Order: sequence, then C-alpha cells, then structure tokens
Amino acid sequence: MTTPAAGFESDLRRAAGAAQPPWLKTAREASFAAFAAQGFPTSKTEGWRRTPADRIAKTPFEPAGRPAARTGFAGKALCPLAVRRIVVQNGRVLPGGEGTAPALPAGVRVQALSEVLREEPETLRPVLSAAPDAKGLPFGALAAALAEDGVVVRVARHARLDAPLGVLFVSDDAESGRPQAAHLRLLVSLEEGASAELVVESLGLGKAPFWTNLLTQAVLGEGAALKHYRLQREGEAGLLTEAALVDVGRAARYESHAFDFGGALARGDLRVRLSGEGADCALNGLALVRGAEVVDRHTVVEHAAVGGTTRELYKAVLDERGRFVFDGLVDVRPGAQKTDASVYSKNLLLSEDADVRTDPEFKILADDVSCKHGGAIGRLSPESLFYLRSRGIGEAEARRMLVYAFGSEMIERVGLEPLREALTAALHARMPEAAEEAA
Amino acid sequence: MSNIVLKIDNLHAKVGDKPILKGLSLEVREGEVHAIMGPNGSGKSTLSYVLAGRDGYQVTEGGASYLGKDLLAMAPEDRAREGVFLAFQYPVEIPGVSNKYFLKAAYNAVAKHRGAPELDAGPFLKFVKEKAKFVEMDPAFLNRSVNEGFSGGEKKRNEVLQMAVLEPRLAILDETDSGLDIDALKIVASGINKMRGPGRAFVVVTHYQRLLDYVVPDFVHVLSGGRIVKSGGKELALQLEKEGYGWIGAEKAGA
Repeated sequence: MTTPAAGFESDLRRAAGAAQPPWLKTAREASFAAFAAQGFPTSKTEGWRRTPADRIAKTPFEPAGRPAARTGFAGKALCPLAVRRIVVQNGRVLPGGEGTAPALPAGVRVQALSEVLREEPETLRPVLSAAPDAKGLPFGALAAALAEDGVVVRVARHARLDAPLGVLFVSDDAESGRPQAAHLRLLVSLEEGASAELVVESLGLGKAPFWTNLLTQAVLGEGAALKHYRLQREGEAGLLTEAALVDVGRAARYESHAFDFGGALARGDLRVRLSGEGADCALNGLALVRGAEVVDRHTVVEHAAVGGTTRELYKAVLDERGRFVFDGLVDVRPGAQKTDASVYSKNLLLSEDADVRTDPEFKILADDVSCKHGGAIGRLSPESLFYLRSRGIGEAEARRMLVYAFGSEMIERVGLEPLREALTAALHARMPEAAEEAA
Repeated sequence: MSNIVLKIDNLHAKVGDKPILKGLSLEVREGEVHAIMGPNGSGKSTLSYVLAGRDGYQVTEGGASYLGKDLLAMAPEDRAREGVFLAFQYPVEIPGVSNKYFLKAAYNAVAKHRGAPELDAGPFLKFVKEKAKFVEMDPAFLNRSVNEGFSGGEKKRNEVLQMAVLEPRLAILDETDSGLDIDALKIVASGINKMRGPGRAFVVVTHYQRLLDYVVPDFVHVLSGGRIVKSGGKELALQLEKEGYGWIGAEKAGA
C-alpha cells in the first residue's frame, strides 16, 4: 500500500486553508480521508485492474500554474459553436468568459466555482457539504477535497439555456516545464422542467504531463433535460480522470456523448442514478485510441425507480498499441419494474498489438424488466475492403472510409450540426493513414 | 479487326488446395458481349473474382492480360482505374458509407487516374442523378448507406449504376440476373444495353439463359470443370436452356 495522502497534504492545507466556511473545510477533510482510505488504485484494485493509474501515482505533480506560453487556444477547440464559453486554463477559470456572449436568459446562472465560494458559498452548501459517494472513485474524492475552482451551472425551474454552453478545460506547460495537476469540479443543477446543453471539452496543448482530475455532479429535477457532450483531446502526455455523478429525477432525461480523441490516459467513470419514475438516460461514446494511449470507460446506471430507460452504446477504434476498456453495468434495484435497458459495446481493432476489454453487465433485482446487452470486437471486413477497391478506391482510402463508417454512427447522434462537422473532421484527422500521410 | 481487350490464356487457379480453373482460355475484343454459362461449381464466380483481383485465389498456371498488360499483376483498385469492372453476384453492404459518397470517391479515383477532372459534391450529384435514370433508380438511394437494406433487385441496379458512373472498358457481370424478378431483370438489362458500344466489352457470367433474352450476346461459352468446353453463337444459349448441360458431355465440376 502506498501512502497516497503524503503528496497531497500540502494541497489540502492550501485548499482548506483559505477563508471559507467551516462546513466546507470539514467536507474537504472528509473527502480527503475517503481518498486516503482507498489509496491510489493499483493493478489489484477492483475496477482499476486495467487502468495504469501508476502513471499518476509515480509522477511528481505540482499544482497547476499559469501557462508559460501566451499562444493561447483560440481556434484549437473542437467546439466552435458555443455562443457562450467559459474557459478553465491550467486549473483556473479565466475571468470574463469569452466573446460577445449575450446575457444569459432569466433563471440561468453560470459562474466560476471560485467566485461562488468567495461570494455566496452558502448557495452550494447542500451539494458541497455532503461528500459524494466515492466508493471506487478515489480521484473523485480527491477532487472534492482539493478543487478550488471549476464551473457552476444552475438553471431554475422551467428555465432554458437557450444555446449550448461551452466549458473548455485547456492545459499547457508551466514556466517550470514540470508535470502539473489540476483538481476541478463541474456542478450542474437543473430544477424542475429546466433544460441545458453543455459542451465540455478538454484540450491539452503542452508537452509535459498534465493531470486533470475532474469531479462532475449533475442533478436533474422532474422533467429536466441535459445534453452533456464530452470531448476529450488531452496532449500526448495528458492524463484525465473524471468522475461524473448524475442524478436523474422523475421523467427527466440525461444524454451523454463522450468522444475520446487523444491523451496518454483517460479514465472516465460515469454513474447515473435514475431516481424518479420514468427517468431516461442515453449514454453514447466513441474513442479513437492509438499509440500507447489508454481510454478506460466505466459506467454504472442505477435504475432506482419504476419505468426507467437506458440506451447505452460505446464504440472504440483501436490502432497500434492502444488500449480500451469498457465496463458498463446496469444495476436494476428492487422495485424498479418496467426498466428498459440496453448496453452495447462495439470495437474495431486495426492492429494486432491493440488491446480491448469489454464488459457490458446487468445486475437485476426486479422481475418485470427488459434488458439487453452485447459486446463485439471485430476487424475491418475483407469483403468490404475488396468491394471498395474493386471500384478504384485505394486501399488506404478504403480503410479510412470503413473506419469512418464505423465511428460516424456516434457522430450522427450529435444534435448540434457545427459540432457534428467538427467531430467529423477530428475523426478524419485521427485516421491511421492520415497520420502517415501527414508525416 | 478490333482490339483485344481481354485475353485469358490457359488459366489455372485454386482456392486453398482445391483447383477450380483448369486451363481456361478466352479472347474478348472491343464491342463484343461474351456470355459464359455453366452449371453450379463450374468455376464461373472464381473466374470473375480472379479477374477482379480478390484475395484468396491462387493462380498456378497461365494468365490474363487486359489491353496488353498483365492483369493479374495489378492491385484491384488499379484494375478498376484502368477500366475493369466487376458487377458482384452478392454486392456488399457497407453501413455508414453513403452511396453517393462511395460513388463520388470511386468516380474521382478513376477520373484522377485517367487524367480527367475530378468532380465536387454538387456537380457530381447532378452527374450521378442522370446516371441513376439509366437504371430507374430513385435518387433517395443515393443518400442511403451502400446497399444496406437494399432488396436484391436494388442491389443489382446499384451495381449497374456504378458501372454507368465508372464507364469501364471491360465489364464482367457475375450472375447479375440472380435474384431478380422479371421487371427488375428488364430494367437491369436495359441499363446494360445502354452501355453497349464499340469501345466496351462485356463478359456476362450466368447460370440461366433468361438474361440473354434481353442482353443478346455475340458469343456463348460453356464452362465446365474449370475449362471452356464449347463455344458458339447466341443460339448455343437457347440450346442449353432447352436441353440442359448434359448433352455437352461436360464433366460435372468438382462440386
């Protein structure tokens, strides 16, 4: 057992030391204790066996600081459409937002976490004073203990965020060139009948390892609707751990679209609780994994009420020595009758050296349910390749078309057209042959 | 006499350890339509695939040249770019690739090779819609995934559409009539007939004579046991229809 807490105690002192209400300090210490009790996950930790978390444990991170370069990130983000965007650079929300954002609609508030903690911490007391259920999520607990900044989105009863909101997490090397870490929180609250679309993007620009440790919490009241796009393009040495906890109330709908297009290690835990009758979630994902990258997606959907629906499909394209892990559990609680759930994982292997593990799984404690799951691992079809080539299309282009065809299903599910176009371009740019041709 | 487009000389080919073609020879000239008929297992599809360059077939003896070049040495895409087209017996479904994108990619790959201008999406769509009329295809099929969920007849029409778009010099039609009702057969045959001309040769591979009622061949060959055992004019097809393959004395293929 390592002594995980040691490296972060000074961070905790700093996070808990600033002027803040005693209840928050207590909550931070409780979360820190939860992290310390679990320790760094290792290859023997349940749920983390295939995640090389030692890459995090063994790196001496310093707290993220101001980036050395002034070159910025304009134009590098995938999400071009957000009329409002809030940028979190190296762990800090940049002041003022961006662009010529029109005023938010009545009932919608978007703020930096640091600002809320400074000016009206009591408004977050209900969510921040209760330590999140961090079983199996040591890094989520660590973020709860240490995060000093992040983004808070609150949409009041029957209010609508009328245009998508972009949240861009951008990281770049510090002056020191040393590895940096940022612990952040994203808090989303949609009251009854409220709706919002969030495009949350991670963009890594630096060369040194940058670890983003994000804790996302979303609560959807009755009849609320959240579309949560998650675009991930960490840098070559970028590390991302994200724990997302979502509570979906009665007749509310949560939709997630996760795209992983880079980074040394991306570990995402998404836990959705369908807590009200007729709650609905759709979880979609596409990962393009190559080089020595690892993408690790763990989802748990808890059907805690009657008549919940889950539609889950994750796809991955694996090239070179890439590794993808999918672990998707649907947990149907006693009494959650009329649950309708499907979980599928489909994977395309382009290389002999790539590695994929897929584990769609159900735990069912109700008797009147419809549950389907499946996992598939395949290669490009030789018949399809020959068909395309027999029409004059070169082999590299034919492969590209088939890989694109495999992935495009997930992009087509994206409702925002400019985002769909950007994702299409990103998918093309991630093709193995595209990389070779550019070299 | 017109140019020889395809010359197959004593072709032997096997699949795995099993010899299928055992000394097949054939000469096809510009403007000609040759029908190759034969019972199941005689090697008809193997011949089509070997000429188009599909993996899994090993040529052990003999060869084939196309306009004087060694056809079998070319990659499948190069054969297509040079003007060889195979209409598949079982066209492949490719979910996620739209038919028009596929047709445009194919058209532009071939155009580039021929030094002709490539077409952007707009002009190409106009071009391909004209071609779709050839086979009476609803333009809605252009927006669907390649062959996905198409009926048998729609798939075959799509093959003829691809042929019309790529304008090959040698078209090999592998059992293009299979799975078609009579109306679809007439449409497909009419599409093929519109493509006939002095610069283009056809090899029509078929089990039954009925396609040949509509696409009238110049020559008919009987393939049996991996070799052509009899050649004649179009009347040979009628005789085969009436009397079957038995009278040829053809050895039953290794089927």
